[in-house]
Order: sequence, then C-alpha cells, then structure tokens
Amino acid sequence: MSNIEQKKTPELTVVVIAYNNELYVEEALESLYYQTFKDIEVVVVNDNSTDRTGELIEAYIADKPNFRVVHLETNSGGCSVPRNTGIFNSESQYVMFLDGDDWYTANACEVMLNAAKRTGSDIVAGQVIRTNTYETWYKRQIYSVERTNFNIREFPEMIFDSLSVNKIYKREFLERNNLRFQEGLHYEDVLFTGQAYFLANTISIIPVPIYYWRVVENAKVKSITNQRQDIKNFINRINSHRFLDNFMIESGNSIYLSYKNNKFFRHDLRLYVNDYLDVDDEYKAQFHPLIQDYLHENINKYEFIKLAEDLRIICYLLYIGDREAFQDYMYYLHDLPTKKARITHNGEFYYFKSDMVPAVDQRFLKVASPKFEIGIEDLYLTEDKLVFNSMVDLKSFADYEVVLYKWELRNKAIQHSIFGKNHNGRIEFDLSDMLPGNYYFYLTINFLGSEKRVLVKFDMVNQMEYIKVEGHKNDISTFVNEKNMIGLNNQLHSEVGDLVWKMRKRVRKFRNNRVKNTKNSFSTRLLKSFFYKLSVKNNWVLFESQMGKQFSDNPKYIFEELQNSNQNYKMIWSCENVNEFPLDGNITKVKRGSLKHYYYMTRSKYWVDNQGIGHLAPKKKGQVYLQTWHGTPLKKMGADKDNATPEEMKKLKSQTKKWDYFISPNPYSTKIFKRAFKYTGKVLETGYPRNDLLVQQPEAIKKKARSYFNIPDGKKVILYAPTFRDWNQNSYFDTLRDINRMSKEIGDDTIVLLRLHYLLASKIDDIQLPGHMINASSYSDVQELYLISDMLITDYSSVMFDYAVLKRPIIFYCYDLEEYLYYRGTYFDLKEDSPGPICSNLEEVLDFIRRPEQLEAYKEKLEQFSKKYCGLEDGQASKRVIKQVFK
Amino acid sequence: MQKKNIVFVLNEFNGHGGAQRVASILVDDFVADGHNVKILSINEQLNQPSYFNDQVEVTVLHEDNYRAPMEKALFPNLKSLKFNVVSKELKRRAQLKKSRAKVEKFFDQFGEEMVYVIVIQVWGMQWLENLLYKKNIKIIGQSHESFEAAFNSHRFKRIQKYYIQTAKFLLLTEKDADRFKQLGFNNVGVMHNPTTYRKQQDARQLWENKTFVSIGRLIEDKGNDLLIEAFNKVKDQLPDWKLDIYGDGEDYKHLKLLIDIYDLHDRVFLKGRTENALEVYEQASILLLGSKAEGLPMTLIEAQSCSLPCISTDCAPGIKEIISEYETGLLATVGDADQFSRHMVRLAKDFTKFEAYSTNAYMESQKFERNYIKQQWYSLFDEVGAHHE
Repeated sequence: MSNIEQKKTPELTVVVIAYNNELYVEEALESLYYQTFKDIEVVVVNDNSTDRTGELIEAYIADKPNFRVVHLETNSGGCSVPRNTGIFNSESQYVMFLDGDDWYTANACEVMLNAAKRTGSDIVAGQVIRTNTYETWYKRQIYSVERTNFNIREFPEMIFDSLSVNKIYKREFLERNNLRFQEGLHYEDVLFTGQAYFLANTISIIPVPIYYWRVVENAKVKSITNQRQDIKNFINRINSHRFLDNFMIESGNSIYLSYKNNKFFRHDLRLYVNDYLDVDDEYKAQFHPLIQDYLHENINKYEFIKLAEDLRIICYLLYIGDREAFQDYMYYLHDLPTKKARITHNGEFYYFKSDMVPAVDQRFLKVASPKFEIGIEDLYLTEDKLVFNSMVDLKSFADYEVVLYKWELRNKAIQHSIFGKNHNGRIEFDLSDMLPGNYYFYLTINFLGSEKRVLVKFDMVNQMEYIKVEGHKNDISTFVNEKNMIGLNNQLHSEVGDLVWKMRKRVRKFRNNRVKNTKNSFSTRLLKSFFYKLSVKNNWVLFESQMGKQFSDNPKYIFEELQNSNQNYKMIWSCENVNEFPLDGNITKVKRGSLKHYYYMTRSKYWVDNQGIGHLAPKKKGQVYLQTWHGTPLKKMGADKDNATPEEMKKLKSQTKKWDYFISPNPYSTKIFKRAFKYTGKVLETGYPRNDLLVQQPEAIKKKARSYFNIPDGKKVILYAPTFRDWNQNSYFDTLRDINRMSKEIGDDTIVLLRLHYLLASKIDDIQLPGHMINASSYSDVQELYLISDMLITDYSSVMFDYAVLKRPIIFYCYDLEEYLYYRGTYFDLKEDSPGPICSNLEEVLDFIRRPEQLEAYKEKLEQFSKKYCGLEDGQASKRVIKQVFK
Repeated sequence: MQKKNIVFVLNEFNGHGGAQRVASILVDDFVADGHNVKILSINEQLNQPSYFNDQVEVTVLHEDNYRAPMEKALFPNLKSLKFNVVSKELKRRAQLKKSRAKVEKFFDQFGEEMVYVIVIQVWGMQWLENLLYKKNIKIIGQSHESFEAAFNSHRFKRIQKYYIQTAKFLLLTEKDADRFKQLGFNNVGVMHNPTTYRKQQDARQLWENKTFVSIGRLIEDKGNDLLIEAFNKVKDQLPDWKLDIYGDGEDYKHLKLLIDIYDLHDRVFLKGRTENALEVYEQASILLLGSKAEGLPMTLIEAQSCSLPCISTDCAPGIKEIISEYETGLLATVGDADQFSRHMVRLAKDFTKFEAYSTNAYMESQKFERNYIKQQWYSLFDEVGAHHE
C-alpha cells in the first residue's frame, strides 16, 4: 500500500523496474534508501513477477514513506512499459532509472542531481561499473573526463553508450519532446537513448561512478539481454536500430548515422557473431538474410573499411551474403579448419577469398598476414650445429605448394644473422661462427616473390624443447624470453670473457654508427685533377656494357674482333664487380666509378659503351666515343617520350653531345635515333656487331651454351623473355604465376630458358623450379641463348629484332597490350606488323607450343620482318665498325 | 603407488604466511603416503619454528643468512661511475654462481630418477635455472597471488622469464590461468589450496554464537578497517553481535584507534594471533574478509569448510571460486562499507538464510578438502611425468 501523505514533491524520482529479481531487488532498494541525498522518491514498478519479487518489495517499502510500488497486472515482456509507468506515476523535476538487479553507489543521486542543477543540461551521464571486471563502461572513449554542456553533434562518440540507466533527465525535457520508451520493443534503450541524445540541447558527463551493472556469469537464469540464440532476439535488436535509423533520418540527423552504425558493428553485431559457431542451422538460415537486408539499408560498405580487420571482413561477407565464406571465416578466426582454402595473395596483399567478390572489392577482405602454426620437432643441438624438423602449417592457405620458408637466427644486438639450410623441412644451422649473446628465430615466408618476415613467438610453435649443450668455452641453450620470443643463447663460461665480449660489442656498435665518407674527399679530387692533365694514349680502349654489369652485347663483340685483329691495343673493361666479371686473361679490369676507372677513362683514346658513360669523366679533345647502343628501338624514348621532362632532356643532351659515332642496326632505327636523341653526329648503319654470332652460328659456342645448362641433344629449347612492366610494381607476381603454370603444362621434353629482368630474376632465385625450367637470367651473353633456342616467347622487348636474324618462330604473349600501349607507347605497330601470333592469355601460348605447326602461317610475315629489321646483318658488322672507327 | 621424489622450494620455510601453511599440509600428506619429500629453503628466519613436520629434511641454501639483493645492470652504472653498485653486483653474481652449483649438487642426490620440484615462490627460480635443462627434473611453478597482484609487482618479469619454461605453471583460479594463457603461456593449470580444517557444524549453534570473525595479518591490504566501519554502521541493528579480529601486524595501532573513535570497546575485539584457528571457527557465526587484493584466501576456504557463511569483498577472481554468491556467502564491492554492512544485517537477522548458506558452504567446500587436492597433485605429477622419454 502506498503512502498518500501529501508533502512537497521531491526534486528527483528514481524509477525502479523489477521482474523476477527476488535475489537482488532488496539490495537495489537498499542502495536507494541509504543514499547520501535523502530528498528523493522511489517508484518501484513490478512487471508482474512470478517469484517473490512483489512481496519482497512490499515488505521493504512498508515503512518507507518515500517509496511507492506499482504492480502491473500483466507482464509487459520488456522494460518499456514499466519505465513509462514510473515516469507517469511521478512528478519530480528530475528522473533517473534503476534496474531491479543492479544498484547505485552511495552518493549517486547527490552527484547526479548536483551536476544536473549546476550545468542545466537536459541529460547528465555518469559512470557505470560492470561487476565482472569492475571496469568502467566506455571509460577511455567517453567517461574519462568531465564534459559540460555539449551537444551530441559536437561529440558523436557519445552514441556508443546506449544505456538509459546511468543518466539523469530533466522531466521538462522528456515532456517537451514526448520522449518515452517504445513499448513492445526489446532493446528499447538503443532507441530511447539515441533519440534522447539527438533531441537534447545540451548533455553533460561527470566521470564519477554512479551505477553498478550486475553481470552474472554462469547464470542459471539469463536476463533478457543475454538470450542471444533465439532469432527473435536478433530481430528485436535490428528492429530497434531500424527505429533509430528512421528517427535520425526523419529528424534531419542522417549525417551522424555512420557513428551509430559504427557502434552497431563494433558492439551489437559483434555480440551475435561471437556466438555464431554455437547456433543451429535454422538460426543461420534466418540470420543471414536479416543482416544482409539491414546492411543494405542505411549503410555504405565503405563504413567497413576503417573497422578492425576481423570485423571488417565479417561485415563485408555478411553484406555480400556469401554464407560459406562467412562460415569459413568464423572457423578461421577460431583456429578451426575451413572447408575451402581461403587465404591467398593478389600481388599486393593477402586476402580472404570469396567467389562472390569482385576484384576491386578484395581490399575489404584484406588480411594483414596469414595465420600459421609452426611445428619444431626432433631438435638436435651440438656445439656447432642446430638441426630440427620444421613444419609450417599455413591456415586455410590456397597454393601452399609455392610457398618457401627461410629460417634465420638473428642476434639483433650485434646485427649478426645465421641462415638455416632447408632440406625439405629439415633445417640445419651451422653454429660455428655463432657469437656470444642471444639469437632469436625469424621465419621468412615467401609466396611467389611476396615476402613476409615474422619473428617466431612461443605461441606460434606447438611445442618447444629445452636443450642445453655444454661446450669447452661456452654453453648453448634454447630458451624462451619474457617477450615470448624463441631463441638460442650462447653463453661464455668465464665471467671475465663475458664482460670482455660485452665491451667489444659496444665498441663495435660505436664504430658502425660512424658514417664513412671517402668518395668526394679532398685527396680523391686532387688525384682526379692530376689524372686529367695526363696525355691520351692512342692505343687504349675502354669498354663498358650495361653499366659494368655485363660482359656482353656490342662492346663484347667489338672487343673480340679487335683482339683478333692483332693490333696492339690495350683493352680495359669497366666492371661493377671485378671478381665476378667473366673475362680472363691479360685484360685490365677496373671497378666502375673508382679512381682507377677514372684514370683509364681520361687517358683512353677510345670509349666503347652501349648506354652512356659521358658523365663519369670529362671528355678531352682527341678522345673518340663509340656509342654502340643496345637494341632496335621499340618503346618510345628520349625526346619522343610523351612525358619527357626538361631535366631528362638536359641529361640526355649532356650524354649525346659526347658521342662521336653511333651504331644503327637498320634504316628504321637510324631515323628514330637521330630524332629521339637529337643526334647530329656520325651514324654507322652497319647492323649490330652482336648479331654476327647469329649469322655465323659457330658450333663451339652452341655446344658451350648447351652444356652449360646441361641440355641434352634432341631436346627442344624455348626462350621466354618477358619485359618488366615498370609502371606496375607488382607485375612480377603475374609473371611468376605464369612461370609456375608453364612449368606444369609444358612437358619435360622441352626446356624453357627464362630470361628475366634482373629485378624479377632475384625474386625467382629461391624458388625451386622443375628441371626443365631453367633460370638463365644471369647468363652473361643473351645472344648465345638465342643461338640455342628453337623458339622465342616475348612481349614488348627488342629481343624480337635480334632473334629475327635466325628466322625461327616468335610468339608474342601480350596479356596487357592495351595497358602497355597506354603507358609506354611504341614506334612499331605490334598489332599490325608482328612476325608471330599475339596471344592474350597463357592458354593460347601453350597451344602454339603444343602444336607448333600453327606457326607456319606466320612464316611469311617473319620473312618480311627479318628483311626490314635485319637486312644488313651479314656477320661482318663488327669488322665494318672497326674499320671506320679504329683507324 | 610408486615412490616419488618431491622437492619443495620456498623462500623461507619457517615463515608464517599462507604459502608455508599450504606447503606444510601437502608435505604431511605426501610423506604419509610414503614419498621422498625434501625441502629446499633459500633462506630461513632466525629462531622461528616452522609449520613443517620435524621429520622432513630441510636444506637451507644460504646458511650464513646471505640475502640476495635485486640484480642491477653493470654498464649503465659503470658509465655513471657508480663503482660500489658495480662491485656489489659482481659480488652478487659470484655468489649466485656458487649457490647454483650448490643447488645442482643438492639435486645430484637423486641421480637420474625423476624429481618433482614444486616452486612456491618465483624468487627461487633464479637458482634453479640450470635445472630447466635436465630431463629428469620436472619443475612445477606456482603463483599464490592473482594475476593483477603479480602484474603490478617485480615478480611479473621473473614469472615471464622462468615460469614459461617450466613443466607446469599453477595458478589459483581459472581466470588467472586464462590471463596468463593469453600472454602466451601454454603450460598453465589450476590448483586450489587445501584446507587444514574441515568440520561440519550445526547452523543453529553457529548462529547463536552471534560473532563476526576475521583472521589474518593486520596490514592495510587486508582491510580490517573496513570491517570496523561496517560493523559500526549496524551495531544498533544487531545489538547482541560482536566482531572478533584475530591476527597481528603493523595495522594493529590503526585498528585500535578506530575502535576508540567509534567507542566500540565492548563490541569489537583485537584478539591477537591464534594458534588454533579451528577453535575460532567453532566459536564464530560469520567470517568476514575486507581485503583489497587477494589470491585464494585460506581463511575463506577454512571457514567455508567449517560450515561458516562468509561475507567478503570481491577483490580477486579467487573469491568467487570459493564463495557462491547468494548460496554460501555474500560479496560486496571493494571499499564499500555501506554495502558490506547491509550484507552483515541480511545474514545476521535471517536465520533461514543463514542456515541455507551454512549447509551449502560445507558441501561446496568439498573441492578444497585435503585428500581431494592431494589426488589432484598426483594427477598432475602423472601428467608432467608422462613426457619423460
């Protein structure tokens, strides 16, 4: 029975709602009775409880005049009706709410009322403490500092807190907007609080705990919000969000929807997805269409992009409705096996594959790195060797057979690495030059050229063995450190030795950090100016090919011809790496760019090179620069380039003005060279010295090249020479994929020689190709490769012009012809005049290889092509050049 | 059962904390079953008796009462010219080497036989480092505090360094084990403390005692002041009840002061240390615990094992492992004397509730019964020993 004594209405009403809370309701009411601020009234609304809640309430409030109770006659099924009833049954200026299984802090009413009166805000919010972790709800994002009188539009992050119970409301504000809890709606808080925020003129926050939210784990009776397996539950939640969406749109607040959506993904959706693996198929069948519909309503898919990786992928897969992929992703997240192999790489990044996703949207499914588990077994450790069997299990990985693993032990302190040799999973480390200290394991995963280096951590390994080996001077042991890194420790026995080593380590580090700078030192400059003054030697010839990287091309052949002519020339070769240069005998080799190189350059009468060395030394009168160039021009170059900048042209000019002679292979090229290089000097239209080989076709060279690659007689040889697409960093990926495919489709009665750009070649070094695919990229002279090849596959490379001398079939594999033409532009109309078939995909290429008789149709075109571009080639080009230049 | 070699490693075997008490219970039980039990104590308190049975052999590592200081880095101190710090550190390292050799010699007595080493406190691990690589020695590390408490202390780094490599790392509660598992420990397990006392008592008799009781060291962290505050709030609602606080420690003076201020001389009593906790449990009604932080408090376990309902602050995951809210006891938020006091009234005034809680408490405390725990240790030994080649 309620007390009807008339008194002045208290300033604050607390509306308590209860349904079957017999264990807790007394504590809730107690916390109100013992509030530090006394002038409150409490309206308890009992939602027709079936347990002792009702009688406990009656018993408690019997002697408390400020407490009233309303017993609802039927259960409303939610919190809306009870709360609205409480609002209706009171008149105070301010209203707060309390759920019957929670409780307030001792001074909650006092601090909230003070804040409400002090700030005058429509709503004031306080901190909520959850009793499982005793953490403050959204402390970092919202409740860390006091915020006074802001509008939700100034601080939309507030939307994350959708609770209605930790706030004090001005009744006038509720009435003015007719704001009530929507009846018949579960998750009424989402709507009510969302509306309240956007309708309020001002909101304030006090960073003070006022509300304890009881979280019961292992609950025998779950409260309303915890029964997530029921699909109705999910429908309710989405509905309440729908109501809020509509409200926001209709009230002109749609620009803030993304904040509300963000909360939906990160909090609401995540709750349901966490339980996904436990629900039954019936639930799933209803869940997917529901969420897919909702995600297409007021949400733009780009709102997923900034979410955390797992949530982003979850949202996107639900958005496109690929249920199988979603299910697999759930398995993947929980380290369970997936039905299909889903993780793959597209050249730029790893992603989770779904067949329903267009390539442009792959970035929504981007995965930072593949998940894997490492098995280390049969660990065997001695003083100078560490051996173990390793097995890397890449989770859900497609194409795992092309993955390579490189194991590394690295001591970061002294920057020393030891690499393990990998024999089919058996890893062997040679520890003989292991230094004292800690070495940690790193694993580099190489997938078709794309590398990812990972620090091996203890939780990636499924078991670890601890072994210690005691040697004469030191002990080696395996261990795990406090950062969970797995390592090998090398500890010296003697303490003194250990200290001495540590000192040396510090000195070494200090020395390494000092910058070395000798290139432009004073002494160098002095010497250079001295050399310049020395006389020019008439019989000195300086050769360079491909910036010193190669012993090949026209300079090589001119060199050989000059040697044969028996004239007394001193020949000097400029090399990038003197020791690796494939030239023996009594020839001077100098490191390109060194002082020695400079000396020879300023004193040699003849410079013979195929790129441009004019910037390496000033040219003196009397010196003769023979520019041999390195191919018939295909791609637009020099002044003909569309995007030639003034700086580039200036640089070009500084080179070309030093040329005295320029070799052209054919009339077509002469015209182009003159125009593109703005070259006014003498042109030797003689054919290319390097192509003499292809006319003469010496058996000795053929034999040498074949035996270098161990090619048995009778096997057909195909040369594959794709160009480097320099506008696309990741084009290597496509090429490697093609090579992989080729290796499977081409039988081993055919040998494929790969001639790749050096940037590409390095990526293929580690990949173990099948025996009939040979990486010939670093073979010193490509002309010899032409000689032994029966067929050429290329695209936009000027190798076609040289190869045409042999009049053997050429196949053009131009899968990106349009793109190439756009980016590079050609002098030569590939589509019109190509001397062989142009294939747009690998399948077509393979077809021509399998049935080479189809190439007969191109024979005539090849003939014409050869005549036009190789008409001058008669095997005498070198002689002709020497006759004209070396007088 | 095959005779096992079991070594307990403690900081001070004759200290009087919960850790020593628990160890002594286990030692007694293992010895009774015929196993070869030894104690390796890093240091000892001078002239103090221990909980341990005289029959068990105790080896003190530092007989000269050398107490190892914390380690210090050498080179930073050298650079700052702090030579005496450097020389002290060098001395410490030299002593460490000697002590480690002594430890290895100690373990030689077992030959190649399997030995189970139970490390009660992580401080001792620095002397056992080399044993990690011996195949026959299975080290089981224990932490007797909650994850939070460990995390905020200097012990945490040691735990990360040593306990990750031991055969097993035992925590007191599932929640604590999970926290460590998340950090990458794949050798965690849970082991409760066994109770010394277990007695089924009559609820009516207990209730008639009309006594709140608290047992434990009198230090600030144990929150006895909270108990006095709470009692003070409800002293008039419970006119026949009193509060007995057992134990001693530096907080004694402060508590005495509170009693004076609130004029509770005839209601609240500081009873000093007790040697016979069982008697205390027989004469009490409800056990109170007001701590700010705990591991798995022995007093709660013992009280529940003696049919006493408990009121405790929810200060650690361990509390909920012992007390089932609203079934065997009540929980209050740390520091909230108001809520605590309301719980006291709730239980003291309602005998039906009290009786239910008392009966439930005795039943649910079965999992701390010493035989039950002993069997769990044996299962653990089997699990750990199974990996031996």
